[in-house]
Amino acid sequence: MPGMWWVVGTVLAVGLVAAYLIWTAGRVERLQARAESATRALDAHLLRRAAAAAVLAERRYGVELYAAARIALDAVPEEREAAENDLTRQLRAVELDPDDPAGEAVIAASRRLALARQVHTDLVRDARAARGRPLVRLFRMGRRHDWPQYFDIDDPTVTTRADVTTG
Amino acid sequence: MRIGIVCPYSFDVPGGVQNHVMDLAEALIGLGHEVSVLAPADEDSPLPPYVVPAGRAVPLPYNGSVARIAFGPVSTARVRRWITRGDFDVLHVHEPLTPSLSMLAVLCARGPVVATFHTAMTRSRVLSAAQGVLQILLERITARIAVSALARKVQVEHMDGGAVEIPNGVAVAKFAGVEPLPGWPGECGPGTGGTLGFLGRFTEPRKGFPILRDAFVALAPHRPGLRLLVAGPGDPDDLYGQFPAELRDRVSFLGRVSEADKPRMLRSLHLYVAPNTGGESFGMILTEALAAGTTVVASDLDAFRRVLDGGRAGQLFPTGDAAALRTALAELLDDADRRAALTACGEQVVASFDWPVVARRVVEVYAAAIEATDGRVMDQEWVGLG
Repeated sequence: MPGMWWVVGTVLAVGLVAAYLIWTAGRVERLQARAESATRALDAHLLRRAAAAAVLAERRYGVELYAAARIALDAVPEEREAAENDLTRQLRAVELDPDDPAGEAVIAASRRLALARQVHTDLVRDARAARGRPLVRLFRMGRRHDWPQYFDIDDPTVTTRADVTTG
Repeated sequence: MRIGIVCPYSFDVPGGVQNHVMDLAEALIGLGHEVSVLAPADEDSPLPPYVVPAGRAVPLPYNGSVARIAFGPVSTARVRRWITRGDFDVLHVHEPLTPSLSMLAVLCARGPVVATFHTAMTRSRVLSAAQGVLQILLERITARIAVSALARKVQVEHMDGGAVEIPNGVAVAKFAGVEPLPGWPGECGPGTGGTLGFLGRFTEPRKGFPILRDAFVALAPHRPGLRLLVAGPGDPDDLYGQFPAELRDRVSFLGRVSEADKPRMLRSLHLYVAPNTGGESFGMILTEALAAGTTVVASDLDAFRRVLDGGRAGQLFPTGDAAALRTALAELLDDADRRAALTACGEQVVASFDWPVVARRVVEVYAAAIEATDGRVMDQEWVGLG
C-alpha cells in the first residue's frame, strides 16, 4: 500500500519540522530573556558606578566630577551613552586612590561595570544573531520583545597604580 | 558561592590546564567558596578531595597532540548527574571547544556558564566542521575568560565575541622560600662567578636559546666561575654540542624538571634569562622566576615588557641581540644592589599574579554571569544538537 507510506512520511516530516521550529522558538526566547537580564544588570552597574562617583566627588574632587555623575544618573536613554562616556573621562582624569574607601568603591564599581558591559555586549549579539535568522523572521518569533539594543560605551576600566602591571 | 568547575583533560597526566584548574580550585576554596571539580580520571586514582572523577579518559589525537578526554553517553550521564547534585550557582568550564567533559557540561547546563579559553585555537576541527554546533555552544556561555592577550584576540577575531583577560595565576607561596638545589647558585662577585638559568625547550627556535648561548660563550672566558643551568626536555648531546669543549663543564643540564622541582631550580640562579624571539602570549615562566625571588633578564617582547612592568621588575634587552644580552648580564652580575632592587620590585609585581588575587577577579566574572542570567545552574534535557 504505497499510499500509506506517503502518509507516514509526510507526518514524520511535518513532525520533524515542527520539533525544529519549537526548539528554535525556545532558543530565541531563551537568548532574548538572557539579553534582557543582562541589560538590567548593566543598568544596575551603571547606577552603582555613578552613585559611587557622586559620593567620591562630594568628598574630594568637587564640582566637575559631581556634575558628570549627576548627569549620568539623570540622563534620558538617548543621551545616556554619551553621559556615561563623559563620566568615564572624568574619572580617568582624577588620580583615584585605592586606599581611600570612596576611591576604592569607584574603582571596584568601574571594574564590575566593565564586566557587565562585556557580558551584555556578547549576549545582545547572540540574541540579535538568533533573531536575524531567516526562519525566525519568517515566523516572527520573539515578536513580543523589542530588538535587543547594544549599549555602546568606552571601556569604563580606570587604571590605578597597582593595576598597571596586569594591563 | 557554590562553584562547579569542569576540566576536560585527565588529572592522571600533568598539564597546564590541569594545574590551572587545581590552583584555581584551591584558591577559591581558600576564599571560602564551595568548589567541586569534575575531571576525567579513574575512580581509584589519588585525587584531591574536591575532585569528582568522571571515569576513565581515552587518548584521542586532537589538534596535533594527544588529549586524554572523556566523551559519550556514559560521560554525558555523569556530567548531568554531577550538575543536578551540585546545585551550583555558577558553572565554570575550561576549554569548552575540546570535545570532552567541558563541552558536555555546556550542552547540559542552563544558567550562568563561565568559560575559560587557554590555548589560542584558531583552526580546530570542531570549529571548521560544525559552525552550527559551535554557535549553539557559544551562545550557552554567559561570560568568557581568556588567559592571555593572544587567546583573547582569537575570541574577538574568530569567534565573534569578547572575553575578559585574566592572566594565569602563580602560587607565590610555592615558589618563595624554597631551598635551592645543593651546591647552587654559588659565588657571585664583581668580575667573577654567577649562575645563569634557562628553562624550556632549547631546541625550539622561538625560545631563543642560541642567543643566550652566544652571550654565554662570549662572556664566560672573561668571567671565571660563570655557570649555566639548563632545564627542559631535550637530548643532552644536542645541548652540549652547541658549546666549545673548554666551556662544557660549566654548563649543567637537568633534563625535564617536575612542578615540585621547578621552584628549586629557579632559586638556584642569580639571573633567569628569557631570550625568546616571539610567540609568547604571556610569559608564565617570568612570573614564576619573580615569585622565586630570582632576577629576570628578558627580551623586549610586548608580553614580557608587560609582566616586567616596562623594565622596573626585570632587565629587558633588545630581542635577538646576543651582544646586548652579554653586556646586560655582565653588568647585572657585577651589581648585587641592582639585582636586589629589581627583585624587590618583582615581588610587588608578582603579588598581582598571586592566585588569591587572580581568583578574586574570576569571582567577579562569576558574579557578572550570575547577574546577567538570574538563575541557578540547572540540568536541562539535552535537546537539539544541531
